[in-house]
Amino acid sequence: MTDAGAASGVTLPVRRRSGGRSRRWLLVACMLGPLLGFMVVFYAVPFAYLAQESFQSWDGEDEPKAEPTFDYYKKTFQSSRTSRALTRTFRISLVSTLIALVICYPVALLLIRAGPRLRSGMLLVIFISLAASLIVRNYGWLVVLADQGPLNALLVGLGLTSRGLRMVYSEGATIVALVHYVMPFMILPIYGALLRIPDSYSEASISLGAGPWTTLRKVVFPLSMPGVFGGTILSFAICMSAFVTPLMLGSPATAMMSQVAAEQLLVQQNFPWGSAIVTILTLATFAVVFAYGWIIRRVMKADV
Amino acid sequence: MFEDRSFQRVVAVLGWTAMAVLVFPVILTILVSFNGSQFIEFPPKSFSMDWYANIAKINKIGEATLLSLLVASLTGLFTVAMAIPAALAIARHAFPAKAVIVAFLLSPVAVPMIAIGIAILQFFVWTGLPFNWITLLVGHVVLTSAYPVRTIVASLTLTNPSLEEAASSLGASRWTVFRTITLPQLTPGLISGFLFAFLISFDNYPISIFLVRSGVTTMPIEVFNYISQQLDPTPAAFSTIYIVIVSAIIVLVERRFGVISLSVRG
Repeated sequence: MTDAGAASGVTLPVRRRSGGRSRRWLLVACMLGPLLGFMVVFYAVPFAYLAQESFQSWDGEDEPKAEPTFDYYKKTFQSSRTSRALTRTFRISLVSTLIALVICYPVALLLIRAGPRLRSGMLLVIFISLAASLIVRNYGWLVVLADQGPLNALLVGLGLTSRGLRMVYSEGATIVALVHYVMPFMILPIYGALLRIPDSYSEASISLGAGPWTTLRKVVFPLSMPGVFGGTILSFAICMSAFVTPLMLGSPATAMMSQVAAEQLLVQQNFPWGSAIVTILTLATFAVVFAYGWIIRRVMKADV
Repeated sequence: MFEDRSFQRVVAVLGWTAMAVLVFPVILTILVSFNGSQFIEFPPKSFSMDWYANIAKINKIGEATLLSLLVASLTGLFTVAMAIPAALAIARHAFPAKAVIVAFLLSPVAVPMIAIGIAILQFFVWTGLPFNWITLLVGHVVLTSAYPVRTIVASLTLTNPSLEEAASSLGASRWTVFRTITLPQLTPGLISGFLFAFLISFDNYPISIFLVRSGVTTMPIEVFNYISQQLDPTPAAFSTIYIVIVSAIIVLVERRFGVISLSVRG
C-alpha cells in the first residue's frame, strides 16, 4: 500500500494496518483472550480435575486417599452393568448411525434435485426439527409407539396383531428416537457435499454409458464422502453420549453409558467411579472418531 | 442420472418416506394434544383444549420457563460477544498453535454433554464456588460457545478481506472498519450463532440436571419430570406450543437473514 503511493509520486495519509510483530500478537491475544480464558478456566481445568478424580479411591468418606489407582477403570470393565452398558452404547450408536445414513442419503439427493421453492421448504422443515426441543421430539415417539398409540392402531387395523404390542421403553424405541434425532445432522452435511459436485461429472458418466446406479456408486457417492464422513461422525458422537433419549424411551435394563455414569454420581454419590465412566466414554468416542478418520483417509484414500 | 425414471422414482419414494418419518411424531403430537382422553389414544375420539389449560399444573413451569429464557438469552449474548473477536482472530490472523487452539475451542461439540455437566459440577464443589443460576450459565456457555465461533468464521471466510484493507488504507480507524465493513458482513453468522446457542441452552437437560441446586430449576427439567410421572397428554399441548413458537422464529430469521444457506455451506 505504501509502495503504491510512493511509486505514483503521491503521498497518501496511509495508516499502517498493524504495528510490529509483537504488537500484532498482542492484538491476537486480546481477541482470543476472553473466550480462550473462559474455556481454559471452566472447561479445560474442570476436565483435568475430573480426570484426576477418576484415579482416586473412595470409601464413602470425604477425604480421598493419596495413592492414585486404576480401581474404577478395572471395575467399569468387570462390573456386568457398566461393561454391558458400554457394549450396548457402541451397538446402539453404530446401528442408529447406519440407519440414519441409509435413510438420509436419498433426502439429500432429493434436495439437490428439488426446485428452489421445494428445496427451501424442505430445508425449513429439517431446520425446525433440528431446533425443536429434544424432549418434545422424544415425547412424540412416546406418543407414536404408545400401547394405544397410532402405530399399534395401524398394526391392529391391518390385522397384523390382535392387541397392541409393547414398543416403548425398549432398545428398539431408543434407536428409533436416536435416528430421528440425528437425521438433520446427517442430511445437512451430505447435502452440502452434493452441492459441490458439478452436474457435468454425473452427465459425463451417463453419456459414457454408465447406468444411474453405477453413476451413484462410482461417481457421486465417492465425491460426497466429506459430507458422509462429517454426518456419520457427528451422528455417532451424538448417539454415544445420548442421555435424555434412552432415559425417556429405554428402561433401566437398556441403560447407556451416560445413564450409568449419572447413576453413580447422582444416586450413589460415587464421584470417582462416575468420573472414570465418563472419562472412558469420552475417550472411547474420540478413539472411534480418530480411527474412523484414519481409515477413511488412509485406507479408502478419500479426501475428507 | 435423474433422467432415468426408475432411479428417480426409487429416490423419491425413499426420500419422501424419510421426510415423513421426520415430521410424523410432530404431527401426531399436535393431534393428541387436542384429544379429550386421559391417556395417549389413537385415533382421537373427542376434541378438547383441557390439556392446554393443564400446562399450568406442571410443577413451577412459570418460573422455570422464565429462568430458562434468562439463561438462554445470556448464553447467546455472552457466547456471541466472546466469539466475535475470537472468530476474527481465527479467520484473519495467523498465530502460534492455531490448529490446536481452534480444535480446543470447537471440541465441546464432540464431548458427551454429561461429561461437561459432571466436570463443572465437581469444579464448583472443589473450588467452593456457590451454586445458583450463574452456575447454569457457565455450563451452557461452555457447551454452546463453539457454535457462534463456527458460524461467524463461516461468514467471515465468505467475505472479502480486501474491503477492510481498502477502508483502512483510505484512513478509516480500526473501530470504523469493524463497525462499517466487518460487522455487517458477519451479521448472518452472528444471528445464526446466537440462535444455535439460545436454542441449545433453552433445551438443555443433561448439563442442567447436574448444576441445579435447591430452588433453581429449568423448563426442560420440569417438563421431563412431568413426562416421567404422568401419562396424560399435557406434554403434547406444551410441545405443540413449543413447536409453533420455534417454527415462527426460524421462518422469520430465515426470511430476514438467510441463516439456513449459511449453515449448509459452513
